[in-house]
Amino acid sequence: MPYLVSFHLGWLIGSLLLGFCMGWISVVQRGNGTSKVTARWLAALAVALVAASFAHVVPGRFGYWLDLGLIMFACYLVGCTIGAWLRDRVVSRGQPAA
Amino acid sequence: MQKLFRWASKWWPGLIPLAVMWGFAAWNNTLPVEADLSARSTAALKGTVLDKTRIAVDGRDVSLAADAFSEEGRRDAVMAVETVPGVRLVDDRTRLVPEAKPFVWNAERDVVRVTLSGSAPLPAMKGRLTEAARKEVGGAEVADQMSLARGAPPLFEAAAMLLLDQIGRLKDGKVTITDTKVNLSGMARELGGREAIAAALKNLPEGFSIAANDVKAPPYIFQAYKDPVAATVTLTGYVPDNNVHAAIVSSAGRRFFTEKVVDNLKASIGAPGSFNTAVVAALGALSRLSTGTLVVSDREVKLSGDALYEGAANDIRSGLGKDFPKNWQYKPEITVKPAAGPVDGTVCQQLFNDLLAKGKIRFAAKRADIDPDSAAILDHLIETALRCPTTNIEVAGHTDADGEDGFNQALSEKRAQAVIDYLVKAGLPASRFTAVGHGSTQPVAGNDTDDGKAQNRRIEFLVR
Repeated sequence: MPYLVSFHLGWLIGSLLLGFCMGWISVVQRGNGTSKVTARWLAALAVALVAASFAHVVPGRFGYWLDLGLIMFACYLVGCTIGAWLRDRVVSRGQPAA
Repeated sequence: MQKLFRWASKWWPGLIPLAVMWGFAAWNNTLPVEADLSARSTAALKGTVLDKTRIAVDGRDVSLAADAFSEEGRRDAVMAVETVPGVRLVDDRTRLVPEAKPFVWNAERDVVRVTLSGSAPLPAMKGRLTEAARKEVGGAEVADQMSLARGAPPLFEAAAMLLLDQIGRLKDGKVTITDTKVNLSGMARELGGREAIAAALKNLPEGFSIAANDVKAPPYIFQAYKDPVAATVTLTGYVPDNNVHAAIVSSAGRRFFTEKVVDNLKASIGAPGSFNTAVVAALGALSRLSTGTLVVSDREVKLSGDALYEGAANDIRSGLGKDFPKNWQYKPEITVKPAAGPVDGTVCQQLFNDLLAKGKIRFAAKRADIDPDSAAILDHLIETALRCPTTNIEVAGHTDADGEDGFNQALSEKRAQAVIDYLVKAGLPASRFTAVGHGSTQPVAGNDTDDGKAQNRRIEFLVR
């Protein structure tokens, strides 16, 4: 893991920033987003992929790409969470003032 | 928490650019990651002892194929690669090198090359053995055909190094270690080499033993060449020690009365038994030839050349064999020098005088027995006598002034008669010769010095 992080630092920071932007937008975006069922399926998919990665069942380059994808996805999620949380604070501070 | 789920449900559109980024990241980094892991794995294996190591990286999975020399070494190698940061899985394709039973190692030398073959226990040792062979043989080529195998006896390297030292002493041959047995065969480079190898083998490491040592010594060669044009006798080759050297040179000096002895002999061990006796006898035969070559090789004596007359040739052909020690072989190739043209008595007298001025007929002290060393001068006198067949010759004996006159008179007569007997035996008619004894009555030098006495003791040939 530390090797993957240090080797792909640029790409992970990119994913983090992408997530940050997405999270920033998501707070004020209108619309319904994904349904609960879809979300559950997606979560199950993510868990399955993580499990596959830890179990080392995917061989060779595909295994490496899976690990890389998951770690970028994790950075994206962290970026989203930070972005959404910060935006939420900005929005909630602005409201009482208005 | 509720909020987080609400936000999260709107994060999915970002997955599309993320997927694109992922694609680019994978595209860009796969080969560098593989190269990096390959380099790190290779570096991690630097301290391990392996042969035929091959590392293949697929993603972050390393496939390690290698020959290890022990179970422990194999485990350590796999472990070393597993602990390289970034490596996900190690596909262990290592194996132990086969065990050789029996463990055989060879070093073979021919004229231009040393070939190392058989099994060596470790790659580094293989390199050291090749290097040692290269150092030992100087310019010759060293071919390394050793394969690696387990099962070497303890102290194998020490034994192999000691044997490689001996390879330098061989002209050609083979050295083999079979488990702890050592075999040697071939031909030593120099005289004494065989003995030096045998001495060195006493230092073989504990546990090793010599199964066979068939190293042969090169032939022990002694040569003599009589050159009548340059009036030299050249002695080359080996003699066992300085005493024999001096004995042979002084014997040659006595026998070759007209030639200068050129001494190019070297002392070396390894002479066959009775070398001195055989060489002295063979030199005696060579001295009777007008031109000839003597080659003594181990226990074989080859004498070739021209005798002065037919009788001498027969004598040399048949007579010399009995002078040699047992186990020696004598191979004469004697021809007869074409007879010189006849001359008249005056020239004959001059030729006799010349011969007797250069050399003397020697006898045993106070006796009338002709010394065998005088065979050469007698042959020359006979050859000359054959050139003037119509003349009669008086053989005159003289002594020095030591002892009583009566004894000296009798001795001089007997000695003159002994010479005539010798000539008659060689085929000359007895009627041509008269023996005369003068005792000490006709000195040619003073009898007060040893040198003068030696000059007075003489045989003269007078053509009548």
